[in-house]
Amino acid sequence: MRILGLLVRRNRLHVAGAVGTAMLSNISQMIYMVYIGELVNRIESREPITAKLVIILVCFLISNAVTVYVKHYFGRYAAEKMAHTLRMGYIGNLLKYRKNTDTGAVMSQVQNELSHADEYLSNTFFDITDLLLTGVLVFFFLLFQNVVLTLVIFIPTVLILLYVKWSSRRLSGIVLKALDAKEKMNRVSYSLVHAFPAVKVYNGDEMCIGTYEKSLNSWGEQEADMERLNALYNSLSGVLSRVPLLLLLTVGGYMVLKGNVMLGTLIIFLNMQNTLKQTIMNLPSWISGFKVFITNLDKIQN
Amino acid sequence: MIELKEVTFSYDNKQIISNLTLSIKKGAKVGIMGESGCGKSTLLRLMAGLYRADHGTISVDGESDPEKISRKVSVVMQSPMLLPLSIYDNITMGHNYSKEQLEKVIKMARLSSWVDTLPDGIQTYIGDRADELSGGQAQRIAIARAMCKDSEVLLLDEPASALDSENTKSVLDAIMEYAIDKTVVHVTHQLKHLEGYDRIYVLKDGVLI
Repeated sequence: MRILGLLVRRNRLHVAGAVGTAMLSNISQMIYMVYIGELVNRIESREPITAKLVIILVCFLISNAVTVYVKHYFGRYAAEKMAHTLRMGYIGNLLKYRKNTDTGAVMSQVQNELSHADEYLSNTFFDITDLLLTGVLVFFFLLFQNVVLTLVIFIPTVLILLYVKWSSRRLSGIVLKALDAKEKMNRVSYSLVHAFPAVKVYNGDEMCIGTYEKSLNSWGEQEADMERLNALYNSLSGVLSRVPLLLLLTVGGYMVLKGNVMLGTLIIFLNMQNTLKQTIMNLPSWISGFKVFITNLDKIQN
Repeated sequence: MIELKEVTFSYDNKQIISNLTLSIKKGAKVGIMGESGCGKSTLLRLMAGLYRADHGTISVDGESDPEKISRKVSVVMQSPMLLPLSIYDNITMGHNYSKEQLEKVIKMARLSSWVDTLPDGIQTYIGDRADELSGGQAQRIAIARAMCKDSEVLLLDEPASALDSENTKSVLDAIMEYAIDKTVVHVTHQLKHLEGYDRIYVLKDGVLI
């Protein structure tokens, strides 16, 4: 973590630029959505659509494109600067303390930890930062728009996330078993080929065929189990992922009909619910990726 | 008795054995030496019926069909060729042997002191641990397998090549003790491994000298 702090401090201007433009881009998108909501409300209430509203929408449409471009540019630039700082810092320290350096360990670190950390910084770090930032901003933006509708999306999504975590943990156990059975089967077939002269001389054909069939059956059973559970969990998760939208339409539609919420607000929620859902659902994989990144940095630091 | 008459064998368009004739009497101990790659192992595999000669005939105890020759001989190769099964299965290769016979073989192959320390004894599964076995342990299992088959002909292809000097002596002594009345053909590039043998040949350019 200390190295990440150091990398951020050394490139604070670039990092601030990347974060700032990401926020700007999100704010621009949210304001655009507010005006889209306003447009829908005017259509619903049969009010005239003013030229001013159309111009504002066009301006924000352009602003969205520009800020997305600037955000990507700054993000990529800051990522490369940080990766460069990491590489240079590592090499600099290596040369400084080269007398006490174990060459084997250094080569291994360059090949593994450094290249992984470098790749993560260049390709993933700012994309995830941007998505996280978007998720948080969208959550508060939606909360500001309507608390009930925000919770209607948020709570089921968290529940789905818990289900996905649970099912993937169960699946990973089964996948490991299937991989183990496959490895065993491959080992058996390899051994049989390798030991063929012995099998022939000692007339062990029957025993070997029996062994191979046993390992093949065991692998087949594990594979079938894995595919069955995979299909079960994934189809259920596919169905569940539609629940927040369905709830939003049901509760939101009811609130619109009751006059508690404007149709424009519901349109905003319908447009942005996917962003919030994606952020929550991807959170575990981002966290595990980030943990690997931090572990690699810690190893480099040590 | 092993008889090879004008045997020629080529592999990848390269002649490895050229017009070779050899007769080994029943109960004789014969060593075949030669540099690496001279064709010693190929000759042994021909005698074991694992390869078919291009020309000439090979017979073991009057049998010249390679398939049937394989059933008449026991072979211990450089690599122990273990299967991912238990020690028991690797020794018996799926055949039924009496308990007494197995115990005798395990003792003769000098496996007992190790096998007795294993929680599952002879039923210990070595499939996942074949790499963890020492060269001596693995080769002793291969020797026990050969002893269990109890053929009249024992063919050895550098059985001690992967062993240290202590294990080499122990393994070779065990073999000689067992094969006292058997016909033995031992292929090696180390003369000291052929101590006490009746005849030693040198294989060079595909012919025996």
